[in-house]
Amino acid sequence: MTAPTEAPTADDLAVRVLVIDDEAKIRQVVCSALAGEGVTCTQAADGAEGLALAAAEQPDLIVLDLGLPDQDGIDVWEKEALLDAGADDYVTKPFGVIEFRARVRAQLRRARMVRQPTPDAPLRLGALTVDVARRTLVRDGAPVHLTPTEWQLLLALLRRPGRTVTHRQLFREVWNDSYGDTQQYLRVYIAHLRKKIESDPYAPRHLITEPGVGYRLEIGD
Amino acid sequence: MRTPRSLGPGWLAWVLSFAALALVTVVLLLLRGTLGKAHIALAYLLVVLVGSAAGGGVLGVALSVAAFICFNYLFLPPYATLVIADPLDWLVLVAFLVTGIVAAQLLSRAQQRAELARRRAQEVERLASLGAETLNVGRAEDALVAIAGVIRGALGVARCEILRPSDLPAAPAAFVLEVPLRVHEQVVGVLRLSHDAPIVLESDAQRFLDALSYYAALGVERVRLTAAAERAEAFRQADELKTALIATVSHDLRTPLTTIKALAHELAARGEEDALSIEEEADRLNGLVADLLDLSRLSVGELPLRIELDAVDDLVATTLDRLRGRSAGRDVRVLRLGQDVSDEPILFARFDLAQSQRALVNLLENAIKYGPADEPIELWVMRIGNRVRLTVADRGPGIPEEEHALIFEPFYRPKGARPDVGGAGLGLAIARRIAEAQGGALSYAPRPGGGSEFRLELPAGTAAELAYVHGHFIPDRP
Repeated sequence: MTAPTEAPTADDLAVRVLVIDDEAKIRQVVCSALAGEGVTCTQAADGAEGLALAAAEQPDLIVLDLGLPDQDGIDVWEKEALLDAGADDYVTKPFGVIEFRARVRAQLRRARMVRQPTPDAPLRLGALTVDVARRTLVRDGAPVHLTPTEWQLLLALLRRPGRTVTHRQLFREVWNDSYGDTQQYLRVYIAHLRKKIESDPYAPRHLITEPGVGYRLEIGD
Repeated sequence: MRTPRSLGPGWLAWVLSFAALALVTVVLLLLRGTLGKAHIALAYLLVVLVGSAAGGGVLGVALSVAAFICFNYLFLPPYATLVIADPLDWLVLVAFLVTGIVAAQLLSRAQQRAELARRRAQEVERLASLGAETLNVGRAEDALVAIAGVIRGALGVARCEILRPSDLPAAPAAFVLEVPLRVHEQVVGVLRLSHDAPIVLESDAQRFLDALSYYAALGVERVRLTAAAERAEAFRQADELKTALIATVSHDLRTPLTTIKALAHELAARGEEDALSIEEEADRLNGLVADLLDLSRLSVGELPLRIELDAVDDLVATTLDRLRGRSAGRDVRVLRLGQDVSDEPILFARFDLAQSQRALVNLLENAIKYGPADEPIELWVMRIGNRVRLTVADRGPGIPEEEHALIFEPFYRPKGARPDVGGAGLGLAIARRIAEAQGGALSYAPRPGGGSEFRLELPAGTAAELAYVHGHFIPDRP
């Protein structure tokens, strides 16, 4: 799924969604799943038709079928490559209608939001308060110490709250690729950061792992 | 081996030697008046030596005795009698006889040694040529043919066959000699010699045959191993084909399953309650095919794994999260055990997160399936030496001892399991293979007080080790 335009749609206009899939049944299924969401659905059977329609219609969201030779194991890697390539989210077939609808809704909501590079107001992470401007993390009035790398990591996740940031993206932003392929540092730092943020290590509520893809930060209580 | 012992047939040497003896005697007789005893003795000795060289030791001795009689009868006075007048002549005569016999024996022995050495050289040459042939030919069967050919030629028998001990055909000739072929004390074949006359092997021929039958045994073993390797390769290719087939089926099922699920969802939204189970069954079908594919991939070592140092807590947390929808409200209690809980606040191990999560989900689902609904399932996390062990413990009926070895086999279902208990019996098989593919293990143990313990072990790691492995220091280790 890709949100090609940041421009917010006028509220009185329906949201336009373009579905590109070579299977007519799947296009119908996707469109009827979104029917209740106040969406107008356009269909394209292949990439060329899809590109033409995308240029003409300027859709708010594109649902694209990737005929990946996928399965568990391989496809989780592909998912990371997918997100790295600029997709905003993905679902794997066979997906359920409820899950699909929720993800589309989330993407449309995000696209409407004005992007803020770094929020100035302190943020809540459960019992913790993050003040990005002052670089402080406070739990019940007591400061929690973060190392410089842990801060970098937290900021990289905070820039895209609620969205999965891939291992590669995080590594690029925090280490500037200067350590080659040693992505395993990332997991070690995430483990330490999580220990400082989460109260229950077996049920994290803010720093969430997407196995094989990356991590995401959920803000709020 | 049928090599002649001396030059020409034996009888010819005898005839010629005695003819020479007669000739020398006649010549000496004509010159008797002018010759001394030494001349006569030397002339006879020459005949004896030539005779033994040509006809062997026995001829030499016979010539010595004949010459001795002639010497005495014709050349020692009184002539034409065996009486000897001068006692000193006795000395000459006996010395002649002894010299003749000893010389004949020595000559014959030297010849035998030379012959033996020649045969040894031949044997070595044959073995060497066979070794080279055996190594040079491409197919193991050709090596056996070459060995049989060399044996047949060397021993001069009509046929030499190398046969499997299991299917010995009837012997084709009246005279047969069979030698068992052994490798590591095990009979791998039979070497059969057939001939139209009785086969009698002299000691050197026997030695040669022993050496060659070892070659033959190695050849037979090579044929067997080659066949086994070809079979294994055929199996591997069949496995790959199967994996590719399941991958295609799995992939092609996804689109129709998506449609089925969506249509079932619509039906359910319209109030068709049964439609919900259509969606569930579609998921189950998808899960089953995915399991089959992974099992197949694990068997051929093709499941891609990204093994990295990661926190064990993360594995537990993502597993519990994934299980949340399927645990049917069952409680999973996580306990961190072991002495080093405070020493090492974060437990690290080396594993593939997505796949290990899968293995752990399978173990927990298994516990949910078989454990009583009112007992919580426990997950114990501990470090044991250089391993991290995750134990899933339930209070189910446990597993009878005779089934312990079977439960990790694919498609195994416990005896007396309800048919509706779900699953195709792949969960534990996949979990164990995933564990092993990561350098870990999965084992079963009865739980004290009743129930089962499934122990998933993964190689432990530390963050410090990571810095060491990559050769540089982590800038600000917390």
